Amino acid sequence: MATAETSIQEPDYVNSPPTLQVRDLVVSFKVENDFPRAVDGISFDLYPNEVLGIVGESGSGKSVTSLAIMRLIPDPPGKIAEGSIKLRGQELLDISYEEMRDVRGNEIAMIFQEPMTALNPVFTVGMQVMETIRTHENVSKDEARKRAIEMLTRVGIPDAAKRLKEYPHQFSGGMRQRAMIAMALVCHPKILIADEPTTALDVTTQAQILDLMLELKQKEEGASIILITHDLAVVAETCHRVVVMYGGKVQEVATVEKLFARPLHPYTKGLLASLPSTHEKKDRLYTIPGNVPSILQMPEGCRFCTRCSEVIDRCHTEEPKLHDIGNGRKVRCHLLEEGING
Amino acid sequence: MTSYFIRRLLLIIPTFLGVTIIAFGITRFLPGGPVEREIMRMRMATASEGVGGGGAGSVLDPTSEMTEAAKKEIEKAFGFDKPIHVAYWDWLKRVCVLDFGTSYNFQEPVWNMIIDRFHISLIFGSLGFLGAYLVSIPLGIFKALRHGSYFDFGSSAIVFIGYSIPGWALGVLLLTFLATDRFADILPLGDIKTGSYQNLPQIIKDIEQDNVIYDDTGTLIWEKMSFTSKLIDRIYHMILPVFCYMMGSFASLTILTKNSLMENLGQDYVRTAFAKGLAPRRVIFVHTLRNSLIPLATGLGHALGYIMAGSYLIEMVFNIDGIGYLGFTSILQRDYTVVMGILSLNVMLTLFGNIFSDILYAVIDPRIRFE
Ligand SMILES: Nc1ncnc2c1ncn2[C@@H]1O[C@H](COP(=O)(O)OP(=O)(O)O)[C@@H](O)[C@H]1O
Ligand code: SF4
Ligand SMILES: [Mg+2]
Repeated sequence: MATAETSIQEPDYVNSPPTLQVRDLVVSFKVENDFPRAVDGISFDLYPNEVLGIVGESGSGKSVTSLAIMRLIPDPPGKIAEGSIKLRGQELLDISYEEMRDVRGNEIAMIFQEPMTALNPVFTVGMQVMETIRTHENVSKDEARKRAIEMLTRVGIPDAAKRLKEYPHQFSGGMRQRAMIAMALVCHPKILIADEPTTALDVTTQAQILDLMLELKQKEEGASIILITHDLAVVAETCHRVVVMYGGKVQEVATVEKLFARPLHPYTKGLLASLPSTHEKKDRLYTIPGNVPSILQMPEGCRFCTRCSEVIDRCHTEEPKLHDIGNGRKVRCHLLEEGING
Repeated sequence: MTSYFIRRLLLIIPTFLGVTIIAFGITRFLPGGPVEREIMRMRMATASEGVGGGGAGSVLDPTSEMTEAAKKEIEKAFGFDKPIHVAYWDWLKRVCVLDFGTSYNFQEPVWNMIIDRFHISLIFGSLGFLGAYLVSIPLGIFKALRHGSYFDFGSSAIVFIGYSIPGWALGVLLLTFLATDRFADILPLGDIKTGSYQNLPQIIKDIEQDNVIYDDTGTLIWEKMSFTSKLIDRIYHMILPVFCYMMGSFASLTILTKNSLMENLGQDYVRTAFAKGLAPRRVIFVHTLRNSLIPLATGLGHALGYIMAGSYLIEMVFNIDGIGYLGFTSILQRDYTVVMGILSLNVMLTLFGNIFSDILYAVIDPRIRFE
């Protein structure tokens, strides 16, 4: 339905090939003499104009996934052990380090959770934005400054020409995250990976930052966002599709509408149940019992079996497959075969 | 910020008073002070002259017991006759016009003695300090980047040895092996220049072969030597002491650089810099290094204080006639005017160094705002 003329840019899953294809990605970390997998064979696609959510509790492997796409896994101890990451058909795991540098900040940009620490404290905000431009484009310092001021203004930093000369500590948390967004988008990347971009901010600022990201995406033809969060409420307001991760594996993939209308995976149901709902007034919020196991103590069988409320015998021994149930929807749970849920 | 530094400057006054009052008190009550030494000296002199000799003006009675009056006389000569607070007040008033009194031993104004020696200590100390920075910073960076490698472990062993051996002890060791015929007699035993022609290094003798640069007794005539020869001779005398100064701060500076860089390499802003597509070279040498050098640069402010503190034993070992040597011998000989003079100088250098350090800090780290 999205045509060149429409101003609203929506993903077209049928006619346009995905911008990014992640296949069977495995990232392991050396811990003593073991190589436990923080990300264990995940696959997903990101389409042009799409906002894709990656959701899961802390420790599910979301950040590791995003760092792997940027080839920023700290090595040692980490390593991309297997898999494929293709940007518009180009295999990112095969290109040289220098070629990868051209991708970073230029075609795929990233913003992080902590705006307080993500900027270098001893350089001005302006210098840090200009640096991104001058790394990827052969422009003069004055031209870079002009572009930086423009970009800072676009992300809603008032009096940008003056604030350009200020240091990160002179910015509030929200303003810093805006500066981070300016820095990330100044070279017009096709993909923005936002790893918990609003977790460290207060509620009002959160909404502003999310709106800003969406607004800027809309202005960039074919650009997409991977929004990483542990908060399904954020997903509901911003994403087209969601990948639910747990224990380094994809547990469910669905459009936002379908996921909220009818979650299929017990983990997704748990996450939804723990959302503060405006309809029913409960005394206490539901929380999924227990904690995310460490990558050193992942259970046999289904990764979620230690905490699942619908667990059956085979869950403890047999790893469930990721079932493709049509319309791009996927679920990793034995119950689908048992005919209870499917 | 200005008011902070004004406050810091004003605080110098009570600190200076506190330290000097304590030191002044100690000079009063420590046994073996100048009065006792003088009495002892006179007693010895009388004894050697013999009881019958009774030299003119002798203040001792025949039984070698000193009269109260004579004792008072000596105390007065050293300014020990007044109550301590009056004496201190007198001292302080004179210090305000840079009059530190006269050395008991040398009969020379203390201020002049300090001025004559200050530059010597300064040159040796600052060369050592500079050398330490020049070696430690690159080494620390390299160790951080190669953390856990054989090079890192190997150099850590050297750093550890450097850390455990004080500079002066290293000096004694090096002198034994490199300045005596025990192993290789290639460097001078001490002092800051050669005294006799015989001891000149061969290279200078070669340069000066057509010149007569010594007198009948073989004593070197410094003025007759060419500039090159003088320079070589100076450097020749500097190698070991400067090396010992260097080793004094080398170990801690290296570790500080390494740890500081490693800590910064793990910071979020480094990940951001890589995510922007910057070259590793730029991330490390511009982004990270700039942050890791903050603690090292501020250390520069304390340099003068460290140099003076470090000079005591090293100058002693290498027989360098600087402030440290003077201070050390003055303490041993209870030459308290000199001791108090050097102490005042060191206190001022340290206190101003602290403030200078703070200024450096505020200049290099934009986050720092002193209130
Ligand atoms: N540098 C690392 N060394 C060892 N383990 C790591 C490292 N980074 C991440 N991990 C492990 O990978 C798992 C997933 O982490 P992460 O991707 O950060 O989770 P999330 O972003 O979903 O909260 C965690 O269990 C964590 O312990
Ligand atoms: S496979 Fe079993 S343990 Fe895993 S989510 Fe499904 S029911 Fe729960
Ligand atoms: Mg994370």
